[in-house]
Amino acid sequence: MKKKVMLIDDDINHLITTKEILEDEGFEVNIHQSPFGSTNAIREYKPHLILLDINMPGLSGDKLAKLLKENELIRNIPIIFYSSNDEDSLRKAVKDYSAQDYICKGDIFKLRRKIIDFFKENKF
Amino acid sequence: MDKLVQSVFSKVAIHGDFKVKDLYSNFMSGAIKDSVAVVDQDNFPIGLVVKQKFLMKLSERYAFDLYYKKDVKSIMIKNPLIIDCNEDINTIIDKALSRESENVYDEIIMVDGEKKFYGLLSVKELIIQQANNLANIILQKEIAHSKAKELEEINNIKNQFLANVTHELRSPINIIIGIIELIKKAYENKEFDKIQLYLKMIQNSANNLKIIVNNILDLSKIEAGKMEIINEEFKVGELLRDIVEYTKVLIKEKNVDTVISLSNPDLVIKSDYVKLRQILINLISNSAKFTEQGYIKISQELENDHLIISVADTGCGIKEEDLKKLFNAFTQLEDAKTKRYEGTGLGLTIVKKLTELLNGKVYVESVWGKGTTFTIVLPKF
Repeated sequence: MKKKVMLIDDDINHLITTKEILEDEGFEVNIHQSPFGSTNAIREYKPHLILLDINMPGLSGDKLAKLLKENELIRNIPIIFYSSNDEDSLRKAVKDYSAQDYICKGDIFKLRRKIIDFFKENKF
Repeated sequence: MDKLVQSVFSKVAIHGDFKVKDLYSNFMSGAIKDSVAVVDQDNFPIGLVVKQKFLMKLSERYAFDLYYKKDVKSIMIKNPLIIDCNEDINTIIDKALSRESENVYDEIIMVDGEKKFYGLLSVKELIIQQANNLANIILQKEIAHSKAKELEEINNIKNQFLANVTHELRSPINIIIGIIELIKKAYENKEFDKIQLYLKMIQNSANNLKIIVNNILDLSKIEAGKMEIINEEFKVGELLRDIVEYTKVLIKEKNVDTVISLSNPDLVIKSDYVKLRQILINLISNSAKFTEQGYIKISQELENDHLIISVADTGCGIKEEDLKKLFNAFTQLEDAKTKRYEGTGLGLTIVKKLTELLNGKVYVESVWGKGTTFTIVLPKF
């Protein structure tokens, strides 16, 4: 079975590039271009991992993470923040919102490495 | 000590063997005013005469005759409050206020380092002075408090700016990096049609980045006072027609009309063409960004020797409480994490600063939900 990643970001450019890069590594990637409706999309797709942008109109990714963690059906799916924000603020967000990890956008090496390692460490 | 020395109101002293009758006539003639210190041969203070007490004493029955020819020593206050010139004003006031009630009088004697008479101080004046000091301290505290608040606000704005700019600068770069990765792959796979799409994406991101970087650099240049103004004569109508064309590009396929209204189509003004163009481009970029339907109207009028250019739109408008902070550097009205519109929040700050450099002024009127009008007033020459 393919390892499934859900990508939530308001910027279509980031969605397209990240999706292609991860698909190239053999992951199955589903994208959702808004924080809204993401709960349903996640419940339907049942990803193994959520890659979550932070700066999004209406509802920021960290607040969305909090909502996802409050949802019985979703709370166990690990979240990795994926953002252009300052690295320190991402580290803090990981702690504050009990996320799995963070990846700085633009660091494609880390993007690949962290996702690959994640699936190595967690057997699904 | 300096303050105390300044507060000394009289340095006059008389010797203990000064005659009461002479002091009486000195008081009466006004040669000595309210009080006088009494010192010995070596100028050490031995007492004090306060006019009021002195006259009271003399008015007692037989007292005048009794004391009239005697030395002042016999009638003076023998244990006046003596303080050292190095004492602190609070201690002095404490001492003055803790005297027995029959010994309370306004004057106190101050001595120098050798304990010799230096002058008379007024407790009342010291207290007033102290109260003033206190008032100053309170004032200073308040000033310090409001300064601290101001700094905190500036700091907040800077942090917010940093959060905004960090994201706005990195985001297009990160997109570019991602797309380059895809181009590499597409090239290896010989998927050339894909490459064309990617190049278009990269171009958009690079253009975005250019605008942001330019804004930041421009503002830094203005803030550093390095922005040069080069005035030249040009037809303002032509510039405005150019701007309208550019507006059309920016609104893309949105259902927004562009309108131009020139009251003096051939008017030639003398100003900095490039700066005025930048001001107007920043304004119409905002209008194009925030207007979903209706129109963007650029108009020009002349009033006395002033050129008035306005950019009006039927966009989302600005809330009244937000109008005040509109031109502040680094404030975009939305929170960085959830804002809908891209941008560093520097555009209008640049507009304001550039307009000022051109000796002009910028005004804004806006109704939330209805639209916004920016008006630039510039000298014609």
